[in-house]
Amino acid sequence: MISRAQNQKDNSNSEMTESNQANVKHLSSIEQKELPFYEVILRSTAFWILVILVILTAIFGYLTPNNVFIKPETLFTIGLNASQILILAVGATILLASKNMDLSIGTNLILTSTLAAKVLKIVAGTPQEIMSGSYPNLTNAVIAAIGASIIFGGLFGMINGLIVTKLKMEAFIASLATMMIYWGISLVITQGASEVGIPRALQLGFGHKKLFDLIPYPLIVALIISGVMWLVMRFTKFGLYTCAIGSSAESAERSGIRTDLYIISIFALVGVLAGIAGFFDLARFATTNPQGHQTDGLMAITAAVMGGTSLKGGRASIPGAMLGALIPTIIQTGLVILGVGAFYQMIATGFFLVIAVYLDKKRYAGYLD
Amino acid sequence: MNICKVDDQIAIEVKGIKKNYGHLQALRGVDLKVVKGEIVALIGDNGAGKSTLAKIICGAIQKSEGELYFWGEKTDVQSINHAHKIGVFTVYQDLSLAPDLPVSDNLFLGREIMRNGFLGKLGVLDRKTMRNESKKALAALGIGLKSISVDTRALSGGERQALAIAKAVTWANTALIMDEPTAALGARQSAIVYDTIRAASARGLAVLVISHDIPKMVSFADRIVVLRHGCVVASLEAKKTTLQEVLNFMLGGRGENKDD
Ligand SMILES: Nc1ncnc2c1ncn2[C@@H]1O[C@H](COP(=O)(O)OP(=O)(O)O)[C@@H](O)[C@H]1O
Ligand SMILES: [Mg+2]
Repeated sequence: MISRAQNQKDNSNSEMTESNQANVKHLSSIEQKELPFYEVILRSTAFWILVILVILTAIFGYLTPNNVFIKPETLFTIGLNASQILILAVGATILLASKNMDLSIGTNLILTSTLAAKVLKIVAGTPQEIMSGSYPNLTNAVIAAIGASIIFGGLFGMINGLIVTKLKMEAFIASLATMMIYWGISLVITQGASEVGIPRALQLGFGHKKLFDLIPYPLIVALIISGVMWLVMRFTKFGLYTCAIGSSAESAERSGIRTDLYIISIFALVGVLAGIAGFFDLARFATTNPQGHQTDGLMAITAAVMGGTSLKGGRASIPGAMLGALIPTIIQTGLVILGVGAFYQMIATGFFLVIAVYLDKKRYAGYLD
Repeated sequence: MNICKVDDQIAIEVKGIKKNYGHLQALRGVDLKVVKGEIVALIGDNGAGKSTLAKIICGAIQKSEGELYFWGEKTDVQSINHAHKIGVFTVYQDLSLAPDLPVSDNLFLGREIMRNGFLGKLGVLDRKTMRNESKKALAALGIGLKSISVDTRALSGGERQALAIAKAVTWANTALIMDEPTAALGARQSAIVYDTIRAASARGLAVLVISHDIPKMVSFADRIVVLRHGCVVASLEAKKTTLQEVLNFMLGGRGENKDD
């Protein structure tokens, strides 16, 4: 506990007690008011992203035949399609809060899912058995694959953390390098081909399964993971240290925080998230996708930044990142239903990124005044 | 000579400390004592080695040679964390606080209060208690902030430094080390800082303060230690010395013969 020289009264009010009043020096006395609730909302980037999401949904709902876009099934399918980028965006947010980034989470995902697929097949049965579509050790195999996803994902994430802290490299450079390395290794292992022979049971039991015949399981898991990460960032020492390191690594170090250890852990944690997202590939599509996901790292950062987390570090908005992650998926799904080329999605997302960051900068500048 | 006697008066003792940066000898065998409740001003020209000495005492860097004692006990300070455990806290000219964190989070950074029971084991912070304790600690130091949950970024330079000192004073129970704590401040805000230092020494903390404000140090400190080219060239009782004498030692003149 704190040692106090002259603490006579327990006054939880922020005003000074009378006995203290005499020796209170008036520093330029902070006049910053606590903002009213509605103003806090209006100033939050996440709120404006939500507004954009609602408007986009309304427009697509209006334009699509029979308003099919705003049917619950469609919306939950969008949620399912967004489940991986949701997890990755949450990871990117945590890293940005610590003033780091990981461009390699997409190719980490590819490599990890490839390795997890190999582990799954080795444990499931002999090559002959798998060829004939029978998996004698299915349960163990699935558990092993989940374990492999977490362990390999975490390991590949941690490697970035080690390069950043031990070799003292910028996170951008470190993860740019590993992005290429992880993708290259995946291609060497797979020759660019998707993994075959993943049991359909994985799709039936998880990837395609829906709670109440409506809510996809992968979406539920993604939301639970995101929610837990939000709680961690907001209420725990780990979250505090992450933001402290991002805000000022020097002062965190001087406060006795072992910043290197934390940075390595943060990278490892985000790698685990990428690994879990990689397992979703196996579960949803019963295959791997070595040709996709390369730009997922950039997409995740885009979502995080659109959601109000800046590259300056020190702050994290996980709800914002979750909303930001929905934008590209919503646009893409809407365009596909409308029969318009889905490539416009990228143009629109880039456009919204500029708007979101511009708003954020304005808000930040006002805040500094 | 290494009898481990525990001394309840000498908070910090530095014996024959040397520090080399490659070929450069930043410290060439420094001896220094700071007793309980004493304010020692460390004076010297730029590059004399003041910051280096402060950093060694507070665990930020390792000495090349020599011995460090806290309360008479020989200790090799391994890290800033280690120094914190001994009760030695440091205030830097800047970068002591994380600007994006609220005041109370900053005050408790590195020494958080956790929730009781299971939640605490999960790493959940007790922010409410931290806020209340912060208010009390700041009030006790006579620092009036209207809101404890405001971001540190919103404070003025003086307020930030007062908070950095409050943080160190709150946790220190052996010594307070300050490297130019008022260098970035105006006169009025410096006065607050000096009051805070005075209060800390009255509480029994040993205070080592590095400052370029020599006239102020002559009137404020108990003792003036002059460092020159990595050597202590004078240790003067502040009451019995003059600004002129301190300057002479600092810039050469009478200190010359002790310099090697
Ligand atoms: N990290 C370092 N690497 C090399 N030389 C250093 C380092 N830190 C300080 N020095 C040198 O050590 C000497 C003493 O520096 P310092 O303790 O900062 O002096 P002061 O605080 O008295 O101005 C200076 O010559 C400085 O250039
Ligand atoms: Mg210095």
